[in-house]
Amino acid sequence: MKPAYRSVFRELLRRELGERYRGSFLGVLWHLLLPLSQLLVMSWVFSHLLQARTQYQDLSYAAFLAMGLWPWNLFANSVANSVVALTGNSALIGKIALPHHLLVDAKVSASILLDLAGFVVVLIALMVFGTVLELSGLPVVFLCLLIFAIFAIGFAYIVAVLNVFLRDVGAAISQILSLLFFLSPIMYDLAQLPPRLQKLLLLNPLVSPIVNIRHALLGLPIDWPNLMISAAAAILVAIMGYALLRRARPHLEDYL
Amino acid sequence: MTEALVEVSHLSKRYPVLANSSDRFSALCDMLRGRAPTRHTTVLSDISFKVMPGCSIGIIGENGAGKSTLLKLITGVLTPSEGQVKTRGAIGALLELGAGFHPEYSGRENIRLSAALYGITDTELKTKMAEIEEFADIGHYIDEPTKHYSSGMVVRLGFAIIAAVRPPLLITDEVLGVGDESFQKKCSRWIDDYVNSGGTLLLVSHSTYHVQKLCREAIWLHEGKVEMQGDVFTVTQHYLAWHEAKQSKQEKIAPVIHAEYEYGIESVVSNGSDSRDELTCQFGEDFRIEVCLTSRDDSPPVLLCGWARGDETPVYGVSSEMDRVPPEKLGPCRYRYTLVFPKLGLLPGKYFMKVHSLDSTGLRLYETRQRTIVVAGESRAYGLVLMPHHWE
Repeated sequence: MKPAYRSVFRELLRRELGERYRGSFLGVLWHLLLPLSQLLVMSWVFSHLLQARTQYQDLSYAAFLAMGLWPWNLFANSVANSVVALTGNSALIGKIALPHHLLVDAKVSASILLDLAGFVVVLIALMVFGTVLELSGLPVVFLCLLIFAIFAIGFAYIVAVLNVFLRDVGAAISQILSLLFFLSPIMYDLAQLPPRLQKLLLLNPLVSPIVNIRHALLGLPIDWPNLMISAAAAILVAIMGYALLRRARPHLEDYL
Repeated sequence: MTEALVEVSHLSKRYPVLANSSDRFSALCDMLRGRAPTRHTTVLSDISFKVMPGCSIGIIGENGAGKSTLLKLITGVLTPSEGQVKTRGAIGALLELGAGFHPEYSGRENIRLSAALYGITDTELKTKMAEIEEFADIGHYIDEPTKHYSSGMVVRLGFAIIAAVRPPLLITDEVLGVGDESFQKKCSRWIDDYVNSGGTLLLVSHSTYHVQKLCREAIWLHEGKVEMQGDVFTVTQHYLAWHEAKQSKQEKIAPVIHAEYEYGIESVVSNGSDSRDELTCQFGEDFRIEVCLTSRDDSPPVLLCGWARGDETPVYGVSSEMDRVPPEKLGPCRYRYTLVFPKLGLLPGKYFMKVHSLDSTGLRLYETRQRTIVVAGESRAYGLVLMPHHWE
């Protein structure tokens, strides 16, 4: 990264982060309040209203859900946000020469940073309210989140470029993401499914990081082979995404 | 420092045709397969030129001639379809009205972003921010999103950033036409100063006046090709002549009603020369014009005579009817007026002398003749005319 590009990236990121709660009274406090209130709602609805249970002893359903939901959001939100990373910045792309990937990078980074902060807040809250978490599993959690982040940037490049050519992508991607949400063991546990279905679900490289984040936090054994396959898939997607962006670069301005 | 700042060689640009949604889809497929889009229009073809440091080049041409596309290719916003653009050093660009501002960002945020792009560090920016605010002079709007700006304010801010950065090459596209009078003057003065102190300028403008004022060379683009390139006055004159020819061609389509004028102009003799070519006369010397008019019903016609500057700004016009001067009768249906401008007060430059024949009441205008008059001479005064004055 050339020095000028680094400061351009910083400016873009600063704005992405700053605009979230611009004009709101509580401002940055929302980063803290939002995850907490979400967690509160989840635990009320699932633990008290629906009386949902997990097969792990002493683990509330809300805590179970939270461990899968925030990592998933980290991935899904950044992909969903970056659909408009290029189309939404057409005013910049058409007028000044800046590397297009910076626009996507800034969107994804901002989204990841916010959800990461949210996840940290939620984990702390869970521990405060008595959920026992295995802190020695944190490096694995971090690795899984990194895999999600790499997936996110790869898919972000792809959807951002495709959306320049076909604006349908924006509408389609939210549907695809919600389908993927239900196909991933976020609201349910992989072990609850019949073995054949488990194998089928594990073909989705997004599944293993979710499963392993939970396992790491609960002190259960880590499924390294599948996690490594996911990591490889993530890197592959990122390379493909970047290659697509590079190939499309000379044409983007013509279609914006 | 003899290396060119910009070197454009065999540059071509084609835009894809995107008339309907299936075009976008096939364009996507073409892009994925690494082919050029099948349906396209050519905007620029085979353009080559160099911009040396210290040059000031104006780019002129009709709407759609490819001027803006050329600038975008040079700044690197667009990628050429063929050929290449080599640039050295930072380029300050004010393309069209946006100036590279994000509509949702505030003025200040846009300044920060532009500064980052020009490689200005935070500490430098702190001192420059005040300078930019002062130059832009848009008050509290600096903290509003730029989408709330008037087009003039956008240009003010964009120009203020350029003025603070002072890049080795400045590219502007029709920018001067947007600001108000005082800001235009401020910009013109800044550009003048910038060019004189060794800055390099690429300017697109429809105003040949601006181009002549600010540039030493010009490139005339016509339908995506370089029609002419060279000294600014030669190129702009050919360009204007071409426009006139085009206009008169269009006018010919209309039926000629006044095949023979009720009140016609038979001859115009200026300073003894009766041709219609450009005439050079001397600043401060007498200018004499003799016009022979015809009148079909033998009633004495009125003569209207006027001066206009090269860009058609009227300077002075007077008619025989205003001055209550009768013509000299030369014979049946023929009259002559002789008008003298003693010690011609027009400052050196290019003007048009316009001669019109009117009916005897001075209300209806019939024939018009125009001749280019170049006033030669030396004067350090500003403006158009020498005003009689004295110092006390």
